[in-house]
Amino acid sequence: MNCHRWLDARAAYADGTLAGAARADFETHLVGCAACRADLAGLRALPDLTRALPRAVAPARDLWAGIASQLEAQRADLADSPAIDWPWRRFAPWALAAGIVVLSSVAARRADPAWSVAPLQGVPEVDRAAVVAPAGFRPGQWLATDASSRARIAVGRIGEAELGPGSRVRLRGVSGRNHRLELARGSLRAVIWAPPRLFFVDTPAATAVDLGCAYTLEVDDRGDGELAVTLGYVALAEGDRESLVPAGARCRMRRGHGPGTPFADDAPAALRAALAEFDFVAVPPNGTVGRILAAARPADAVTLWHLLGRTAGAERAAVCDALARTHPLPPGSTRDGILAGDIEPRRAWAESIGLGNFSSR
Amino acid sequence: MAAFESTLPGPLGSAADHPPALPAALARARAGDPQAFRAVYDAHVGRVHAVCLRLAGDARRAEELTQRAFVAAWQRLPSFRGESAFGSWLHRLAVNTVLQDLRAESRRHRRVFPTDDLAAFEAPVSAVPPGTRLDLEQAIAALPPQARAVFVLHDVEGWPHADIARELGVAVGTAKAQLHRARHLLQETLR
Repeated sequence: MNCHRWLDARAAYADGTLAGAARADFETHLVGCAACRADLAGLRALPDLTRALPRAVAPARDLWAGIASQLEAQRADLADSPAIDWPWRRFAPWALAAGIVVLSSVAARRADPAWSVAPLQGVPEVDRAAVVAPAGFRPGQWLATDASSRARIAVGRIGEAELGPGSRVRLRGVSGRNHRLELARGSLRAVIWAPPRLFFVDTPAATAVDLGCAYTLEVDDRGDGELAVTLGYVALAEGDRESLVPAGARCRMRRGHGPGTPFADDAPAALRAALAEFDFVAVPPNGTVGRILAAARPADAVTLWHLLGRTAGAERAAVCDALARTHPLPPGSTRDGILAGDIEPRRAWAESIGLGNFSSR
Repeated sequence: MAAFESTLPGPLGSAADHPPALPAALARARAGDPQAFRAVYDAHVGRVHAVCLRLAGDARRAEELTQRAFVAAWQRLPSFRGESAFGSWLHRLAVNTVLQDLRAESRRHRRVFPTDDLAAFEAPVSAVPPGTRLDLEQAIAALPPQARAVFVLHDVEGWPHADIARELGVAVGTAKAQLHRARHLLQETLR
């Protein structure tokens, strides 16, 4: 089919939505083009075929057992976890259930769940042994992919991770409250359905702490990298520095510097550039904070909120005032409290903005 | 994150949404009864799996996404206010689950979801040898992810272009152009 330039016209004509001169032009072309006439016949047959598709398609196997085990794992872990006031926990129906039906035995819940590795593409290796079928993954072992391979890691009962091409990851911890990987290089996409702070990924620059979410971590050969969160929240921590990254935001990290300041996926380039200087240049140029504020939009609240804890004096006041213009301070929190560096008003402000209930250092 | 409370456009959300015994099971499931949630699962798994399968284009992935959608539904049931039909709410949640997965997959490969990259339509994910006759389900599965998503949401599920464009983060015109490409690829494959 060589009539790509008529593609849109052909589809609109088949729909009956092509009008005016465009319709006349296409009809002129149609008269002399057998290929377009054949395509048109195919397009007009498509709606009947589509309408005949079944509305429901039963899966080839019963999926309930897998769902039930995830619900039970959440229930068990939630029951064991300390009271952390994360927004999503309020949705946990278990807390509302007066009589919970236990789906599996207590003994099964307490057993350390097995980790495993499965090839998704190519031939990944565990400790240099080829993985051609699902296999166990034990603490201390390294999983490696080359440029053409990918692997899926079953993170016990609490989630799964996909290791991208050209990556190396080591399993470091498998206990109930410490599911821990070390990503030395490459990319890892994790989807975790456990309560917060049970799954960790160490990188040379910082540790990603799962807070109930889905995210991608990338680490380059220098050990630097970036975290991108697609669902929930992730804390990126190193030493006494912690960044909390919500869905739709990302955070760079540098070896020796730790995590940078989170920013929205669609943050302006000027903001990103200024933020890179603020985060990773030993002595940022004068006016760096001013350039961040000048580029910031209301949607960049996650950046400004973090800057409150990373600036002082007049710069903190400027950040506070800029953030307050789009996200007013919540009742009970004062500008003086924010400028004094008090944790509680800053935490309350984060919650009112929708960044979660947390403290950041 | 997309708002799950929004009503689903298109043919879903009818009275057939609730089998007769389901409202009671739904109420019990909302209160935290996993056995009741099993009944909800049984009533809706076919619809949820169908949309996951068509959007993902891969049977194994569709099973995982179906499971993930029901786990997400269980977590969010207390926030379901009954303002839309439950089937519509669940269906929307399933679609969001798949689209999030597709976006994450795309970011992992290219960092930026090539939502306006029409050239991507020239390279179907599943290589179909020229001249091979496929049925429509197979042909849909062989479409590139974005083309597949637009076709399934518009032509199969009946979503308007505006909703599709919003979910995919593209202009309405782009969504329409993608639909045309998808239909073109399908009719070529089915010919």
